[in-house]
Amino acid sequence: MRILIVEDEQVLRESLVTQLGAAGFNVDAAADGEEGLYAGKEYPLDLAIIDLGLPKMSGIDLIRQLRGAGRSFPVLILTARDRWQDKVEGLQSGADDYLAKPFHVQELVARVQALLRRSGGWSQPVLQCGDISLDTRSQVVSVGDTVVELTSFEYRILEFLMLRAGEVISKAELTERLYAQDFERDSNVIEVFIGRLRRKLDPEGARQPIETLRGRGYRLALTRAEEPGARADG
Amino acid sequence: MSSLSGRLLASVSLLLILFFGVTIAALDAVFRDLSQRSIGELLDAQLVALLAACEPDDHGNVQPAGALAEARLRQPGSGLYAEIRSPDGKLIWRSPSLLGNQIDFGGPVAPGAHNLEQRTLGGNLRTMVLTSSINWEIAKGANRQFIFSVATSLAPYEAQLARFRSQMLGWFLGLFVLLVGSLALLLRWALAPLRQIEAEIGEVEAGQRASLSASQPRELLGLAANMNALLKSERQRVERYRNTLGNLAHSLKTPLAVIRSTLAGESAIDRRHEIVNQQIDRMNAIVQHQLKRAAASGGAVVGQSTVDVVPLLTELRAALSKVYSNRDLLIEIIAAERVAFTGDRGDLFELLGNLLDNACKWCHSRVRVTVGRASQADARTRLQLTVEDDGAGIASVHRQRILERGARADEHVDGQGLGLAMVREIVELYDGTLEIGDSLLGGARVSVCLPGR
Repeated sequence: MRILIVEDEQVLRESLVTQLGAAGFNVDAAADGEEGLYAGKEYPLDLAIIDLGLPKMSGIDLIRQLRGAGRSFPVLILTARDRWQDKVEGLQSGADDYLAKPFHVQELVARVQALLRRSGGWSQPVLQCGDISLDTRSQVVSVGDTVVELTSFEYRILEFLMLRAGEVISKAELTERLYAQDFERDSNVIEVFIGRLRRKLDPEGARQPIETLRGRGYRLALTRAEEPGARADG
Repeated sequence: MSSLSGRLLASVSLLLILFFGVTIAALDAVFRDLSQRSIGELLDAQLVALLAACEPDDHGNVQPAGALAEARLRQPGSGLYAEIRSPDGKLIWRSPSLLGNQIDFGGPVAPGAHNLEQRTLGGNLRTMVLTSSINWEIAKGANRQFIFSVATSLAPYEAQLARFRSQMLGWFLGLFVLLVGSLALLLRWALAPLRQIEAEIGEVEAGQRASLSASQPRELLGLAANMNALLKSERQRVERYRNTLGNLAHSLKTPLAVIRSTLAGESAIDRRHEIVNQQIDRMNAIVQHQLKRAAASGGAVVGQSTVDVVPLLTELRAALSKVYSNRDLLIEIIAAERVAFTGDRGDLFELLGNLLDNACKWCHSRVRVTVGRASQADARTRLQLTVEDDGAGIASVHRQRILERGARADEHVDGQGLGLAMVREIVELYDGTLEIGDSLLGGARVSVCLPGR
């Protein structure tokens, strides 16, 4: 999951990059509104965290411009001005949620996960596809009643596939969203992880939960326990 | 007397009454004097005519010889009377006009006297009597005194006087009414700008107008300009104050956020972390509550505009639907009529934001906002807002604490308390009322009455 943080306070920004990174996200950071706009338009993002009081371009303007440019990823506002008037203005400009400073990082992570679930059409914190269930809070994955132990990388790939269950996701997109550094696009790292995931989730090779569509990418083929919501996003 | 035109009218009326009174009295005196003089002259003439008609008779008396020239002396009750008597009071002659009346013309008079007096003859006949003692030469060398009296009834004169008085009073009364009336009209016209400026100030207070209009008469232009400058500077002052507070909150909270996130980044969690975190919570609550509270205007600004309630509610609902989009909430807004809040937009946002957010947080699936106007209530509590939900409701222990006047919002740690305490403080600032009860939906019902239209 690739997240952009736009925050002008350097210490806070760096600390958030570290901690969201530790929570399993692939984090980009921008220090002002213009940088944020560039990153928001150019990177394949899953979510943006935007401080409202930014230099060069206000957070509200940044969100408006991103939405105007057709970027529909969820936006979480961080603000020290927690008057309702400001909150409503922020949400009207196109943001999806807000968090007042100072916040607990756990709270931020929970909100980010909730927004990501919502943008994938999930409302509950536990994602369920077929017999695979993934708890986004505890990051516990189980098949039927059996808990499956995954590495953090395997978890992130599975979470991404499950959040967008039913969609075809290209190898390039998986790479871009899950890795901080640029990998060589033809590297077979993703294939290796997908292979390990398949063995862990389906040791007998009977159900084939992750399909490979040649030349197009991967798809989680199991039925969602929850129908995607009416949320069109944007 | 509290009105300017009232004062002017009263004092002018008093002066007019005084002036007219003196004039009436003087005119009356002049008229009576003239009447009296003309009566005297008339009686003199009659006396002379009577004397001229008299001749000595066989008894050594004098009396008119032949028919009297003056017809009124012959006609009974005509109003003109005459009598001739001797100095010892013996009646010698009476005019036929006195026929049938017992009349006393008075007693003896000194020789040569010539008296004009008012007498009542025959009990009820008010007359002016001229009595004159005449020395008459009856025969050669034989002189005798005779007393001649001529009287005229005062009734025609009194009638004339009464007519004169009533006419004069009528004229003066008419004049008085005309003068005072036109003065009142003039005052109305001349003071119209004052009434207008008063009405405008009223509108400014009620929030229907932001400043006084510039179309004032020269004498009031300065006042209006000063007033407008005062209003403007007051508004700017409040605005500046709010911005400062907002910046202060911002610049305090960001460092708190930095401290918190830095702490969270440390791997070792010990008791010091906990203490620092608790202190951050406290500082945050203080910053949030005190600065918000200080920034709430509470209708302190004169010339505050009004805020349409329903559009604001709709905006809030849209925002909250986003925040709570993972829950299938039904937020109803019931508004029978267009209602407006007299006060600051930010304050109403804060109040409704807290109420609705609380309701959304604690409800099961339904929130209902009812907006209405209590027509019989006074302007301070005319706007009625009720927020209900179908959650678990608020325990009576908490209700007590929330409603306690002066309880500080930052003393409430979490739950319904924090938001509602803020609501209560805003309501207090506006002198409104707040009630917490049970909703038919099953959960809490919070009712607020605020100034509005």
